[in-house]
Amino acid sequence: MKTLYLDYSKCIGCGTCEAVCKFLYKIPKIVMTRTSYGLTVPLYCQHCEDPKCMKVCRQKAIFKDKQGIVRLREELCSGCKTKNCLVACPYVAIMCTGRESPVSKCDMCVTRGALGPACVEMCPCDALMVEDRKDLDKRETPAAREAYERVRKYIICPDCPAPGS
Amino acid sequence: MCKSPPSKNGLKVAIIGAGPSGLAATGYLACMGYQVEVYDKLPRAGGLMTFGIPGHRIPASNIEESVKQLENDYGVVFKLCTKICGSEPMHQEAGDNYVFDYKSLGGRVEDNDAVLICTGTWKSRKLNISGGSLPGVYSGLEFLFPVRAAQYNIAKMEVPEIRGKNIAVIGAGFTAVDVVHSAVAEGAKNVYLIYRRTRNEAPCGTLEMDLMEKSGAKCLELVSPVRITGPDRVRMIELARCRLADPDESGRCRPLVCDGELLNLEVDLVVAAIGEIATPPFAHDLGLEDVRKGQIRWLHMTGMDSVFVAGDALTGPSSIGKAVYSGLKAAKSLDQWLTLKRQNRLQEYTGEIIRKEDLR
Repeated sequence: MKTLYLDYSKCIGCGTCEAVCKFLYKIPKIVMTRTSYGLTVPLYCQHCEDPKCMKVCRQKAIFKDKQGIVRLREELCSGCKTKNCLVACPYVAIMCTGRESPVSKCDMCVTRGALGPACVEMCPCDALMVEDRKDLDKRETPAAREAYERVRKYIICPDCPAPGS
Repeated sequence: MCKSPPSKNGLKVAIIGAGPSGLAATGYLACMGYQVEVYDKLPRAGGLMTFGIPGHRIPASNIEESVKQLENDYGVVFKLCTKICGSEPMHQEAGDNYVFDYKSLGGRVEDNDAVLICTGTWKSRKLNISGGSLPGVYSGLEFLFPVRAAQYNIAKMEVPEIRGKNIAVIGAGFTAVDVVHSAVAEGAKNVYLIYRRTRNEAPCGTLEMDLMEKSGAKCLELVSPVRITGPDRVRMIELARCRLADPDESGRCRPLVCDGELLNLEVDLVVAAIGEIATPPFAHDLGLEDVRKGQIRWLHMTGMDSVFVAGDALTGPSSIGKAVYSGLKAAKSLDQWLTLKRQNRLQEYTGEIIRKEDLR
């Protein structure tokens, strides 16, 4: 089960991932955000083992494919006003677009086939990678964990001070 | 964009500037089958990713590997240490010392089917106070550049003496942060960060400010430099206290200089990290102002036929991401233009409306 993994300790917030995603799909599916204390980081879909967005979608427009990639079936998405998927995602990875396809989410560039996710290819810091879910623990360094916690804290409580500062 | 080199389409493109936007465009066009030549004034590709941003942020090996791949697998030719000139007199900028070959833009246009200019922002904003041109006053780039270049063992330029010195860094953007960290790493005695607003308004954010203080730098907030003094070089910097007033157009509170006692700081070096200005090499020839305003015939094309422009040279200083996006978009536009030109069908599309969102 492959997933996208971002080592936040290596990320410098340059926005190359968002840029290439926007270039390919018009609406970026990995989105830069600036935290209250000035850290610029991308937020992205982690293709959860038990995706909350999938559970809450009444139309069953979000599904997990054979490879474990959580995907959106645009034709099934009714563009409901409640946008439960958006609210349910713990990683702020589903975006409201305001266009014909009401929400967008990362599909790990399935349409690019063997080329893999473009953001991973383009990241100048090697911070983004495709990893097997079961190897994630091995991949995660203490620094990565700390940096991740910082981002996580911001998502949960945007006004809280950064941990460790 | 592709895993293996495509068959050549027989068209040639020259790209001026091997920074993020230039390299992104190179990758795109190489994948479309173009024969690409990349020119850069510096001895290595990567632009400010290699020479401005410290190595602990972006590993130099990553850029080098990608460049090697472009060279070996995709037949991209890198012509480094080469500066491209237009009909206007050249301006001096950081990194010029490495140039040993000058080539003309006109020649590039003749030899290639299209030219893409991605020269970025290399001119630093100068301190507009008395003593701002004393020896010992550097811009952020002037300071970072030799420190980085020295690591490549190609130092042809004077590296500022840092060890044991007192250094004042003006500004609180990411350039200032990088200057502070490299000054601390190179063994400066005292590093002062001078910012006219408070940490809450700092472009680099409060976390970076905290990290700088942790590394040993002193962050002085609400102070603005008034004068730099010294007999023959920098000795002292005089700072005035500021207070915050109503927000300006950027939404941040305007700093107002207060009257009253000045603060004196003894320093050996002053680094003004107060921003860069785009330095498009042939702004006049190309009618770049019109491109910025969107009065153009083809997306990203300049006033000169078949010459395109992208990246910070067009938009002003931004970020790697924005530069990459601009480079990719310009490359796509260039490819579409050449494809139509080859079919002699350009006139069918000359009336194409360029939407506002396409310019972003």
